[in-house]
Amino acid sequence: MTTVPLPSSRRAAGIALNAGLVIFVVLYAAIALLQPNYLEPGLFMNFLRRAAPLLILACGQLYVILTGGFDLSMGAVATLVVLAASILINGDPDATWAVIGTLYVMGIAVGLVNGLVVAFLKVPSIITTLGTMLLVNGLALAWSGGAARGDLPDNFRNLGRLVWRGVPVIGTLPLAVVVIAGFVALAWWGLNGTVYGKRALAVGDNPRAAELAGTPVAVTRILAFVVSAVSAVTAGILLGGFSGVSVNAGEGLELQAIAACVIGGAQLLGGRGSIWSAVFGALSLFALFTLLNILGLPQALRDSIQGLILIAAVGASMWRSRKRN
Amino acid sequence: MTAALSMSGISKAFPGVRALDNVDFDCLPGEVHAICGENGAGKSTLMKILGGSYRPDAGTIQLAGTTVHFTHPRQAAEAGISIIHQELSLLPHRTVAENIFMGREIARRGLLDKAAMRRKAAQLLGRIGAEIDPQALVSSLSIAMQQLVEIAKALLLDARIIVMDEPTAALDERGSRTLLTLVQNLRREGVSIVYISHRMPEVMAIADRITILKDGKKVWTRPRDAAPVGEIVRAMVGRDLDDFYPAPPSSPPGAALLAVQDGTNAAVQDVAFTVRAGEIVGVAGLEDSGKGALAQALVGDAPFSSGTITLRGKPVTLRAPRQATAAGIGYLPGDRKREGLALHQSVRDNALLTLRSMAGLLARPQGGAFASNVIDGKLREMDVRAADFGQEIGTLSGGNQQKAIIVRWLAQASDILVFVEPTRGIDIAAKAAIYETMRSFADSGRGIVVVSSDMPELIGVADRILVMHRGRISGELPRGASEEDIMHLALGLADQPHREVHA
Ligand SMILES: Nc1ncnc2c1ncn2[C@@H]1O[C@H](COP(=O)(O)OP(=O)(O)OP(=O)(O)O)[C@@H](O)[C@H]1O
Ligand SMILES: [Mg+2]
Repeated sequence: MTTVPLPSSRRAAGIALNAGLVIFVVLYAAIALLQPNYLEPGLFMNFLRRAAPLLILACGQLYVILTGGFDLSMGAVATLVVLAASILINGDPDATWAVIGTLYVMGIAVGLVNGLVVAFLKVPSIITTLGTMLLVNGLALAWSGGAARGDLPDNFRNLGRLVWRGVPVIGTLPLAVVVIAGFVALAWWGLNGTVYGKRALAVGDNPRAAELAGTPVAVTRILAFVVSAVSAVTAGILLGGFSGVSVNAGEGLELQAIAACVIGGAQLLGGRGSIWSAVFGALSLFALFTLLNILGLPQALRDSIQGLILIAAVGASMWRSRKRN
Repeated sequence: MTAALSMSGISKAFPGVRALDNVDFDCLPGEVHAICGENGAGKSTLMKILGGSYRPDAGTIQLAGTTVHFTHPRQAAEAGISIIHQELSLLPHRTVAENIFMGREIARRGLLDKAAMRRKAAQLLGRIGAEIDPQALVSSLSIAMQQLVEIAKALLLDARIIVMDEPTAALDERGSRTLLTLVQNLRREGVSIVYISHRMPEVMAIADRITILKDGKKVWTRPRDAAPVGEIVRAMVGRDLDDFYPAPPSSPPGAALLAVQDGTNAAVQDVAFTVRAGEIVGVAGLEDSGKGALAQALVGDAPFSSGTITLRGKPVTLRAPRQATAAGIGYLPGDRKREGLALHQSVRDNALLTLRSMAGLLARPQGGAFASNVIDGKLREMDVRAADFGQEIGTLSGGNQQKAIIVRWLAQASDILVFVEPTRGIDIAAKAAIYETMRSFADSGRGIVVVSSDMPELIGVADRILVMHRGRISGELPRGASEEDIMHLALGLADQPHREVHA
């Protein structure tokens, strides 16, 4: 066992980080080639603003993926948030902040249900969250009477829409970008600033070993679903701001969030990944959507391509992990 | 006679280590060739190259005089090489028969012939003296039984070369003896056997020749008669190893730390014993004796359904490992890969897992006691060998993985450690170091319960030995007991006169 020079101890993590970043840079360069004005700070900020919901969802989804699960209910939670906001606020701007509090309580409740069922009834997360997805979607539709009702007041919509102008250096600064920065910072802190991240990785890697080592496996899993639900509520609030009230506001976002994490290098079934997997994976995926849009592909085709990407990303992730073992 | 197998000039480097450096190795037909070496010497790597799992950076492999290049394990299998790997690789959710026939299913008219596979599996298992139901799920088997299934799987191929990488590490005395008989029979049939083990008595009993690896280099190959144990150890370790087992404690044990009364669950009945401060209590028994279940009950993994556990005089309920950890009882599980390691996390993170799990949720992961330099110091103290403690623990040699998990529990200042097979797969120098660590842990006024199938180990390190038979403690032996005494109780012969066992 003679020691020879080692490239770098953090090589594995480094590659994972760079994969997402590199894909993003390449795709964004392609966008800029077609539409050079995307290089202006204003348009880049706008790009970030529109990517915000996916990025935030990916950060939440990452928590669940690290612990070895999936959260398929986040899109439904986002839809519920949009519909519930319009019904509860009911045109009264003064109610906004109280309603936002209520929305978070509702989201956390869904996350708790997911987590408790997975942790204690040992139902696979993919089944559990598929169940809550149908449940939440159904409840939201029933509550709203099957159609979008009412409008959201400006102070609510501003969270997704507001853009400050005349900001030094970058020119414009959307509020949504500030929300991203805050959310990513919090999510980063949760994984890197507390012992939670290490526990989550151990649980995702080998739950049995973690349990025998004294790790609170159930609590770790439950927390991951709660974080995921909180991210879904946050994303839902931003979505309401962008696009107003609609019954399919969050449709398909859960799969996009999973794809984003995987593209960024997180490993499905747990044990590997960092917050940058979620961030750069989400930016890559959103850049790809933007590119397809600029190329003028019809919506239906874009959906198929999204499906293709999801399969390719998950397939590649599985292949990588098999090759490693 | 042409060698059945001849490897020459084999080299292999991994990031940060040269695992093998120009190694020559050969094995004749009908020969048992043992490889000895410290943890991380490169034994498994050499065999993984032979088996087509790794490609060598340099060197050639010849089988019966013909050069071969394997790029896939399947090719090696087809060439008549069968490898029983150190880390078990069975699929837990499949049956024993399905695992044995994995990739070589018997089919009749395009359909799987399950009955034929079951029959053949039963026959193979019978040949190695294993009483295992071919239809049982692998996940329901103990690690020793899984080891036997791996061996049966290797026999299926009618291989000309069989590699056994620490096959007895998980077996009890009875299992090991059966295995050694099997090796003798295979040798008589002309099969070449490469045998890797850290257990010297076994090596001396069956090897025709012995090769020593150290730091990836071959030290020598000699016929067994020209290789006394002392020489082997010196070549492996680089120095003499005089007092292998630590001296017994000078002062008598102190107050009772842990007391169990009437402990009963599905696997054990009416277990009662005490561990005093400063004591190492051994637990012996055959595979199915309930000794593993006793350990699981002590750490709340498979709790007693009735009975009491008292810690320092206070009754406690231990319903989950986390409760036991919090109460000051640590657990080193017997199945390292499945129950001990988070394989893709770093050595450091694995060693810190318990500390981080017991800290407050908002504690910083690198702060204070979790700082890299603190844990690195502890890992180095335990002589865990890795190019970098930031590397995935899965890339360490088996013995070094084990040491890293021991560090996990030493870092978490527990009062009682429950060690199951603490030196499984550990080299002889590291064993001595672990015994030393256990002794000083106990001498500092704490206690250890050590469950082991390695009888010399229990005799050498334990102050008292509890022997289990069919879920009960069939007897207790003081220091200085012999292997025969233990076997006598382990076989449930306690009520019969002692003479009969030896007759
Ligand atoms: N896949 C891998 N990646 C990086 N390093 C590796 C890998 N496999 C083995 N090594 C390193 O190569 C060296 C030899 O390991 P090997 O497993 O062959 O040792 P061994 O002699 O079988 O030890 P043990 O007795 O503990 O099983 C060790 O330093 C180990 O860390
Ligand atoms: Mg090995």
